[in-house]
Amino acid sequence: MVSKMEMALTSLLIIAIIISGSGLYYIADLGSRMTRLEEAIGIVTAPKHVIMGTTDKLSVLDPAKCYDFYTWEVFNNIGEGLMKYKPGTTELEMGIAKSYNVSLDGLSYTFKLRSGLKFTDGGALNATAVKWSIDRVMRLNLEPAWLVSEFVDHVDVVDTLTVKFVLRKAVSYFIALLATPTSFPVSSKSFPANETAEPTVGHYGPYKIKNWVRDVELNLEANPDYYGTQPKTKEFGIKFFADASSLRLAVETGEIDIAWKTLRPTDVLDLKARGVLTVEEVPGPFIRYIVCRCNQTPFDNVLLRQAVAAAVDRERICTDVYKDTVEPLYTMIPIGMWSHNDTFLTEYGEHNITKAREFLIQAGYSETNKFAFDLWYTPTHYGDLEADVAAVIKDNLEETGMMTVTLKSAEWRTYVSDYLMSGVMPILLLGWYPDYIDPDDYTTVFLHSEWSPSNGVFYNNTQMDQLLEQASVNVTVSGRTTLYNQVQMLMAKDAPVIPLFQGKLTAVFWPNVRGVVLDPTMILRYSLIYKE
Amino acid sequence: MLLAIPMILILLSIVFIVMRVTGDPISAILGGHAPREYIEQLKERLGLNKPLIYQYADYLWQLLHFDLGKSLLYNRPVLTEIMEHFPATLELSISAFIISVLIGIFTGVYSARNYNKPIDHAIRLYGIVTYAVFIPWMGIILLLIFSVYLGWLPTGLRIETFMEPPKNITGLYVLDSILTLNMPALISSIKCLILPSVTLGVYLSGIFTRLTRTHMIEVLQTDFIRAARSRGLSERTVIYKHALKNAFIPILTMMGLQFAALLAGAVLTETTFSWPGLGTFLSSRVLSRDFTTVQGTIVFFAVLVVLVSLAVDIIYITIDPRIRY
Repeated sequence: MVSKMEMALTSLLIIAIIISGSGLYYIADLGSRMTRLEEAIGIVTAPKHVIMGTTDKLSVLDPAKCYDFYTWEVFNNIGEGLMKYKPGTTELEMGIAKSYNVSLDGLSYTFKLRSGLKFTDGGALNATAVKWSIDRVMRLNLEPAWLVSEFVDHVDVVDTLTVKFVLRKAVSYFIALLATPTSFPVSSKSFPANETAEPTVGHYGPYKIKNWVRDVELNLEANPDYYGTQPKTKEFGIKFFADASSLRLAVETGEIDIAWKTLRPTDVLDLKARGVLTVEEVPGPFIRYIVCRCNQTPFDNVLLRQAVAAAVDRERICTDVYKDTVEPLYTMIPIGMWSHNDTFLTEYGEHNITKAREFLIQAGYSETNKFAFDLWYTPTHYGDLEADVAAVIKDNLEETGMMTVTLKSAEWRTYVSDYLMSGVMPILLLGWYPDYIDPDDYTTVFLHSEWSPSNGVFYNNTQMDQLLEQASVNVTVSGRTTLYNQVQMLMAKDAPVIPLFQGKLTAVFWPNVRGVVLDPTMILRYSLIYKE
Repeated sequence: MLLAIPMILILLSIVFIVMRVTGDPISAILGGHAPREYIEQLKERLGLNKPLIYQYADYLWQLLHFDLGKSLLYNRPVLTEIMEHFPATLELSISAFIISVLIGIFTGVYSARNYNKPIDHAIRLYGIVTYAVFIPWMGIILLLIFSVYLGWLPTGLRIETFMEPPKNITGLYVLDSILTLNMPALISSIKCLILPSVTLGVYLSGIFTRLTRTHMIEVLQTDFIRAARSRGLSERTVIYKHALKNAFIPILTMMGLQFAALLAGAVLTETTFSWPGLGTFLSSRVLSRDFTTVQGTIVFFAVLVVLVSLAVDIIYITIDPRIRY
């Protein structure tokens, strides 16, 4: 049997091992902790690399196939289009093209390319490469291909450095489409013509890929052949985290320099309150809204859509659920974009239960004959607060005393790929990341009869179609603003989609990190970031 | 071993049917908005226009040729993708397994030696609590203590963010660091490995504690132990050489069974620590409805569990020569 002495000695030994091990570990690790602190307060020279963490994932590293914002962000750092956005603005400037002109009928755009450009695999970036890349996107005809094929009829090579786009129809925002990664040229040496591929070379941008391990890390290094200003940091590393908690812990402990997309609102508030790290926020172009399926009962009845639009309490969603890290939105065109007009606020007010009840009574419902329906949401795709958003909306609607809402959910792929089109969901929550920065991308896709079915809305209104078509070809901002104002008024009246809130872009970083420009396009420019 | 074949076959059939019941793979690839003719083309190319029974036969035929197919999302061979993530899971599993067995056996033996004393009750409580604990919760608590408050260990990933991974030989960072004599990478990868493997190891250790304790109590009351003690053998020799060896067969059985639990636990542990192994890989592909990859990964897991069970059966014979198959 074990004596008391033996037990005491064993316990002492275990405690001693733990304490000494911990102590040694602490001493061994002290160096790296001190370096982090010293870097932050500027005592030591910062290393020539910046490490960013994200919970987003790279989908497919092929511009012809990828159709998600994070992969587009990476393409904006390793690639470049004929046009590009000025950092921090929604203004377009010349990219790999140095000039362009438009034909009088608006149907052809001729671009003059910069000379001497070459892809990271050594292939020449010229007019032939631009045409080859556009033709490839149209031929593969994958998810983002519509950004090209809906507008471009064909591309002609005029000479080595001149390329001409002939359009199917004149659209005033065509050059914005050329700033999306789907139109970025890629090298025919590295990308196959008839299938998708993910080579780590064959792009052209400020950075090139040093190494990539899917879902683990992506390391970029400055591209010495880039025509523009060289990146401020030679090496830029991106680490992919499984969830927001791990991301927060990693930035807090200094393992990463920047936490970018997406921390939980409560974590952002907490980090702000602690004051050690810099928290930067700007309104982003990401919007959330309710979709009513307009071509089937019950929401083919405009009165029921209006009742929902009147009853919903956006302020409460923003404050209670998102802790004011998002902003209420009263039209589909986001705050800060020209032609934005709060038409839903004008039409219904905020959380107007009296008005909602009036609509319900007109539709034949009462407190004894309640309007019962299922409200759908997807539990993880838009972050883990989605169930709370749905619960607040349910609460808002049931406050009328005339609606009974049952919440239902489905995982993203089932939600968007199967249920959205098949009519399973009469009313649902969705979000929108823009394809290009223009009011057209926030209106036509939901409200034009040709496009609205693909977003589950199935709205059909000839007057709306005409307004949208006129706005897409009008070449003056003032003319388009007038038209989009009419679009927004009609949208508020018919309420096929009901805007809820607009996201904010949030980056959290250490104080010695500079050059974090939160771009309204949601693209972070890695080449501007550096450590002091 | 022969029973393993129908078991795998049943599992494959269940996975095949469940994945198809949950939705259309084409819409998973194309997002539901692709032109009709393109959908038809793709269905033909992937053999999805055939009746389900033919698709099932094709699927089994492919597996017989060790072909797990290509990922619907990324068009890459599933086996290649699995092999990219497997070393991370293997490294975590091995270290967690060692920790769980060491803790489980040590505490179980100690508890049996102190039968019905306060320390015995405390260890029994430990066995129940660790078995019942929710892995991500325990992981977060350990992260908060050792990473955030004390700053001793990294919060996740396989190697610290500022470090280059060691040259890839086996895919196991610790082993590769040793083989390439890369001391900074070795220290960094061990630092990263500690919290996930302790989390998973402690979680799994409870069952070993309880099992070891129960069997050791039984064995310690047998005549041959009394005889060993009366011959004047040291207590250490009696416990570890004679008693534990006799109590070890059921523990070994449990080791084989726990391997499946280990893989299931790895899914949660990997997510908590952003550990880029098969667990995080599988959960992300389930959410993206990458049918072929999910099927392939489950087949891989099933075969792995069967192989481990087989290895355990072989070890039985070594430990107890009376066992014959």
